[in-house]
Amino acid sequence: MSPNATLLHLHFIFAHKLTLNKNIMNKNLVALSLILLTSLLFTNCEKDDPEIPNEEELITSLSYQLSPIGGGDIITLSFQDLDGDGGDSPLITGGILSANQSYVGSLDLMNEAGETPINILLEVVEEAEEHQVFFESNLSTVNITYGDEDANNFPLGVMTTLTTGAPDSGTLTIILRHEPNKSAAGVSEGDITNAGGETDIQVTFPIDVQ
Amino acid sequence: MFNNKFIFCFAFLLAVFNGAAQDCKLNISGQVIDEGTGLPLSYVNVLIREISNGTNTDDTGSFSFNNICEGEYHLIFSHIGCDSKEFHFDLLEDTFLNVILTHTSTSLEGVVIQGKKDNQNNQPNSSVNRQAIEDNTNQNLAGLLENQEGVHLIKNGSGISKPVVHGLYGNRLTILNNGIAQSGQQWGNDHSPEIDPFSADKIIVLKGANAIEFGSGNLGAVVLVEPKKIGREPHLHGQINYAYETNGRGNSLNARLERYTSLFAWRVNGTLKKYGDRKTASYFLNNTGLEEANLSFQLEKSWDEKVFFDFYASTFNTRLGVLRGSHIGNLTDLDQALNREIPFFTEPTFSYKIEAPKQHVSHHLVKFKTKYYYDESQTFDFVVAGQLNNRKEFDVRRSGREDLPALSLQQYTLNTELKYTKDFADIWKLKIGNQNIITDNTNNPETGILPLIPDYISFKNGIYSSLSRQGSKTDMSVGFRYDFENQNVVSITDEIPREIVRFENVFYNFGGVFTFKYNLSNTQSLTVNSGYAMRNPAVNELYSKGLHQGVSGIEEGDVNLKTETAIKNTLEYKWLPNANFSFNTLVYYQHFNDYIFLNPQDEVRLTIRGAFPLFIYEQTDAAIYGLDLSTQFMLGKSFLALLKYSYIKGEDRKNDLPLVYMPPNSLSGSLTFRSNKAIKLFTKLKLEELEITVNNKLVFEQSNLLPEQDFVAPPPTYHLVGLKFSSNLTLPKYKFRFFTKVENLLNSKYRDYLNRQRYFADETGRSFTMGLNFKF
Repeated sequence: MSPNATLLHLHFIFAHKLTLNKNIMNKNLVALSLILLTSLLFTNCEKDDPEIPNEEELITSLSYQLSPIGGGDIITLSFQDLDGDGGDSPLITGGILSANQSYVGSLDLMNEAGETPINILLEVVEEAEEHQVFFESNLSTVNITYGDEDANNFPLGVMTTLTTGAPDSGTLTIILRHEPNKSAAGVSEGDITNAGGETDIQVTFPIDVQ
Repeated sequence: MFNNKFIFCFAFLLAVFNGAAQDCKLNISGQVIDEGTGLPLSYVNVLIREISNGTNTDDTGSFSFNNICEGEYHLIFSHIGCDSKEFHFDLLEDTFLNVILTHTSTSLEGVVIQGKKDNQNNQPNSSVNRQAIEDNTNQNLAGLLENQEGVHLIKNGSGISKPVVHGLYGNRLTILNNGIAQSGQQWGNDHSPEIDPFSADKIIVLKGANAIEFGSGNLGAVVLVEPKKIGREPHLHGQINYAYETNGRGNSLNARLERYTSLFAWRVNGTLKKYGDRKTASYFLNNTGLEEANLSFQLEKSWDEKVFFDFYASTFNTRLGVLRGSHIGNLTDLDQALNREIPFFTEPTFSYKIEAPKQHVSHHLVKFKTKYYYDESQTFDFVVAGQLNNRKEFDVRRSGREDLPALSLQQYTLNTELKYTKDFADIWKLKIGNQNIITDNTNNPETGILPLIPDYISFKNGIYSSLSRQGSKTDMSVGFRYDFENQNVVSITDEIPREIVRFENVFYNFGGVFTFKYNLSNTQSLTVNSGYAMRNPAVNELYSKGLHQGVSGIEEGDVNLKTETAIKNTLEYKWLPNANFSFNTLVYYQHFNDYIFLNPQDEVRLTIRGAFPLFIYEQTDAAIYGLDLSTQFMLGKSFLALLKYSYIKGEDRKNDLPLVYMPPNSLSGSLTFRSNKAIKLFTKLKLEELEITVNNKLVFEQSNLLPEQDFVAPPPTYHLVGLKFSSNLTLPKYKFRFFTKVENLLNSKYRDYLNRQRYFADETGRSFTMGLNFKF
C-alpha cells in the first residue's frame, strides 16, 4: 500500500476529531466523509512484489540406479517433477531388467527446481534414524534387501540389493517415510504395514524383467 | 435517550418518595415485571450485598426490605434464565423500585438489551450471556455458541473450532468483535476465530437474512461479541474466574477489573489458559494441548452527555497443538489412518508439550469510537479500528525445519465507519452508514514453501441505509447496501522459473433486506425476514493453490469464479403466554446462485509424495433450508425444562447432489432444578441460586450424503449426557460462585461429522470441570 493512502486516511480521521472538538458538527462532517469515501475509491494501492520463497525442502527428482553384479549396463529408474505439486505432470522413466540377476541399488534425491541443484539425500542420511525407504513390487520374483543401517542398526534403504527371477513385467514402488516406527513388527524387513509416519516420497515405476 | 447509557439485564426506573431520613428505619420495596409478557415476575432473588440480606419476589412480583440504614448499597437481582445484575445507589429515603426484567429469551440465557430498545431489526437471534460465559470457562468462542439452536461447530480436534450458523461458515459468516468485523484467515476450516470470549458480556447470533449494517457481502449470519458498557460504579469492581478441567488437565484463569470515575471509566480483562493432551474414552490424543494469553483494555469517556468516546484494545495470543497422528502424507497414508482403531503416534502418557504440527496465532485490535449526539433524535458514530493478525502453522519437516512455519501469514486491516442515526415521529428510525475496510495480506517467505494463498491488498467500500418502524402491533424495517471491492493480488506461478503475476479485480455488490413483525397478540408474534445479497469470490477461492496440510488435499482456486448471490427467507413464530412457558420456531430457506464450494475431483494429483486428492473451487446452484425449534417451561416452582431441535438440509440443485459439510440434525434437552430459597450454612454464609442441571444431546447421523462424497461414511448417531451443579456462596461483603460439571458423563466413544479429525481419532471422553468465580 502506498503511504499516501494511509496519510490521507489519517488526515481525515483527524479532521473528524477536529470537527467534534469544535462542536460544530454539521454538514461538514457529511461532506468530509463523502470525500473520504471517494478518496478511497480512487486510491490506487499496489501490493509490493512478494519475495519468492527458497523451496529448499522440495524434492523434484528421484533416481534409483541399478548396477548389475558382475558387470553390465547400469539401469536407472527416474522420476522428475521440476515444478513441484502443481503445474506440469511428472516425468516417469521405468527400466528393463535382466532375469535372474542381482543388482546393487542406490538411491538419489535431488531438488532441481532452483538454479543450483540441492542434494536432498544428504538430509535424509543425516537424519537416518527418522527415515526409511521401502520398496514394493507386484512381482513376487523381484526381491529387495537393505544394504545399509542407521545408528540404531535399523535399515535406511539408500543402498539396497535387488534380485530378479523369471521374466515378467510389473511395477516397482519406492516409498520414503519420515518418522516411521522402525521397531514395529516387520518394518526392519521392509514391510511398511506397521511403519506409520508420513510419506515424503511415493513413486511407482513400470519395470520389465527380460 | 441520554439516560439509556447503561446496559443492564434490566431497564431500571427509580421512583422515590415518602418520609424524611430516619436512621436505619428506611424501607426499600419494589416490583419486578417481565418485559416480554408485561406480567409480574415471581421468584426473583433480591439481595442487598452490604448487609447480606436477601428476599424473593412474591406472586405479584413484589419485594421489600425494612429497617435499612441510610447509605450506599448494591442491590443484586437474579432470576433463573437471566444474568444476576448489580445496581448501585444511595439510600437517602424510603424508595420504591420498578424493575423491568428482560426475560423474553427462548433459551435458558437471558437476552440483554442495550440502551434504547434496538432489537437488531427484529432479526431472529439467540444469545449467550455473561453467566454462561463464566460457567464455560473451559470453552472457546465457538464452543460457547454450540448450544444455541441453529449453531454448529466445525472442528479440527478438540482445541480448534469455528461456528457454523444455518450451514454457513468461514467467508460467509461475519464475526464482529466489539463492533469490528474480525479479520484474519477466516477461510481456513482449521482456523478458530481469534477472540477471547471472556472479554465479552454477551455473544449474539443473528440468524436472519443479511444484516445490512454488519459488513459487506454477507450472505450468512452474524455473530456479535460484545462487552457491556462500564457501569456507573464509583467503586473498584472486578471478578476472578478460575476453572480446572480433568480432560486435558486444563487450567483457565480470568480476571477483570473496572471502575467508573468522574474523569473516565475503565476496564481491564485478562485471560490465561493452559491445556495438555486431551483423552478420548480410551486413549490420549497426543499433541492436542493449547496455551493462550489474552488481555484487553476498555476506556470510556463522555463530555456533557453529548460526545461519547470509547477506546478498546485487545491482544489474543495462542499456541495450539494438532493431533500428531492426523498429520499424514498422501492418499495411501490416509487410507491406512482410516483403517486404524487408534491413531499412529499415540502414547500412553499425558503431556503438556506442544510440538509440530501446531499453530501459533496472535490477533491484536485497537478501536476508537466516537458517538456524538447532535440533538435528541440524531446521532453520529465514527469508528476507526486497526487489526493485526499473525498466523504461523508448523508441520513435521525434515532437517530441523520444524521451527520454520510451513504457513506464515500476516494481515493488517484498517476499518473506518461513519454512521448517522435519526429517530423521528417516535416510531421511525433511519440509519445511514459508510464502511471502509483495507486489508493487507502478506506471506512471510521464511516458510520455504510456495504460499497456499497469495499476497493481496483489498479495498472494500460500502454504503448502507435502513429504515425501521416500531409500532404497537407491527414492526418493520427495510434496508439496502451497496459495496465496492478492489482486490490487488500478487501471486507466484507454479511453473518454473517461478514468476510473479498480478491480478486486479473489481466487484460491485448489492444487497437488500426486508423484515416484518406482526404481534398476533400480547404473547404471540410472527416475523418474516427476507434478504438478497451478493458476495464476490474471496482471494482464497480465486487463487489458492497447493497442498493444504490440514486436509491433506491439493486445493486450487479458479480465477474465473463469478460473484455468488443468495436469497434468504426466514419465518419466526414466538409464543410467550407467561413467564413459565415459551415456544419459538424458526423456518429458513436460502437459495444460492453460483454458490462457491470446494469440490472433490474424480482425478487424483500425482506428486513425488504419491497421489493426493484434488479439490477445486467450483460454482453451482444450491439451497440450504431448515428448522430451529425450542421451548422452555417451568415444572412446578423449581424445575425448568428446555428442549431444542435443529433440522438442516443442503442441496446442490444443479448436479442434484447433497451439499457436503452440512451439519447433522440434532435434538437436545435439559432439566434444571433450582432452589428458590437460600440455604444457610453458617450465620453469615449462605448458598443461593443452587442449580442442578442434567442435559442430553442427540446428534443424528448425516444421512444426506452420497458414499462417493467422502473418504468414509459419516459417523453414526451419538448421544451425550452432561451434568452440572452450580451455586452462589454469599458472605456479607463478597460473593462466590462455584460450579462443577461433567461432560460426556457416560464416557461415550463417538465421532462427529463436522470434526475433520474424525478420520483419525475419536472425540474426547468424559471430563470434569470445576470452576470458581469471585466478584467484588
